[in-house]
Amino acid sequence: MEKENKNLTNFEAEEWRVGPKAFVSLVVAILFFSGMLTGIADMKWLSAFDYSTLAGKFGTMKTLGKDTFVGAGGIGARAGFLFALSLVPSVMLAIGCLEVLSYYGAIKAAHKLLTPLLRPLLGVPGLTGLALITDLQSTDAGAALTKELYDQELITKKELTIIGAWQYSGAGLINNYFAIGSALFSYLTVPLLLPFALMFVFKFVGAIYVRFILNTFYKEDFKNE
Amino acid sequence: MSNGATPAKMSANPFDIFVIGARKGFNIAINNLVPNILMAYAVAEILKLLGVMEFLGTLFGPAMTVFGLPGEAVTVILTAWLSSSASVGLAANMAANGILDATHITILMPCFFLLGAQLQYMGRLLGVADVPKKYWPLLMSASLLNALCAMLIMNYIFV
Repeated sequence: MEKENKNLTNFEAEEWRVGPKAFVSLVVAILFFSGMLTGIADMKWLSAFDYSTLAGKFGTMKTLGKDTFVGAGGIGARAGFLFALSLVPSVMLAIGCLEVLSYYGAIKAAHKLLTPLLRPLLGVPGLTGLALITDLQSTDAGAALTKELYDQELITKKELTIIGAWQYSGAGLINNYFAIGSALFSYLTVPLLLPFALMFVFKFVGAIYVRFILNTFYKEDFKNE
Repeated sequence: MSNGATPAKMSANPFDIFVIGARKGFNIAINNLVPNILMAYAVAEILKLLGVMEFLGTLFGPAMTVFGLPGEAVTVILTAWLSSSASVGLAANMAANGILDATHITILMPCFFLLGAQLQYMGRLLGVADVPKKYWPLLMSASLLNALCAMLIMNYIFV
């Protein structure tokens, strides 16, 4: 009991203690926003810690009829903001179409095709297919489903680990690829679906590798399963 | 249009469903892409001003040639481990500045996601699903292998 009280006061004191870290961050804050770090001739690198340098500048219309509202030659936070804004329409279109396609059963069909492959490839029961397919759309929902399978004792610890490996690398693949990756689609020199297919295949490759290690290196752990 | 088997709440009209999805897309773009890419652009500026980009470029130059990438690309790969969107933003920044070209972006593409956001997903995925902590390093090594092999395949077969 006494010990507990002591901990409590310690904890309260902790909140109000002003350590060296606090003073350092105050100094950093002042320097960062003051503008003093920019324009020092010999130490140009110091401007990396200057607020207005990092805020950067918007691009400008260098080539009329070619530059979009993002402009050309922008730098820092301002350029990043406009670039990110320019991605919004393609993300909305992609996620909107995915929503319609999954409504009409695209995901269910994929589930159906995937299920018979699970036992031979990964050594996990077909009923885990839903957790895997869900992971392609939502990392969090996939993780929750996997936990449920284990809690209901439908899969063993080893199967859980293999499924975890499949989900972990390239989690939320469909949504992440079309929402985030779309920023770079215009650069792709191969068809859009090729990197996607490759990543999907590699989810299996990684899980098979994990299955192999579990069956050899960690064999002892699963003797009782 | 049949709406027999659909739940009462959700409209069966494909246009309505599209709008629901587009709204999700808007939220992802505004809440995820914009802050992450803004951060990536600021970090890229810091790395450039401090000369870190150049330093890493020469340090990792030889190793990166295996993947057909310039040495600077290593910053994108390291960032991917922390966050997919930040690494995509960084790559976009480097492409705009001529450090990476279309071929490099194509090679890097699978890496952004196969290695993507491992730090975050430790909690969100491995933690939630209760994968024993003992095997987390194994799973991470699998993701890294996936990313490296996928880049090799992109480099030697597809581009």
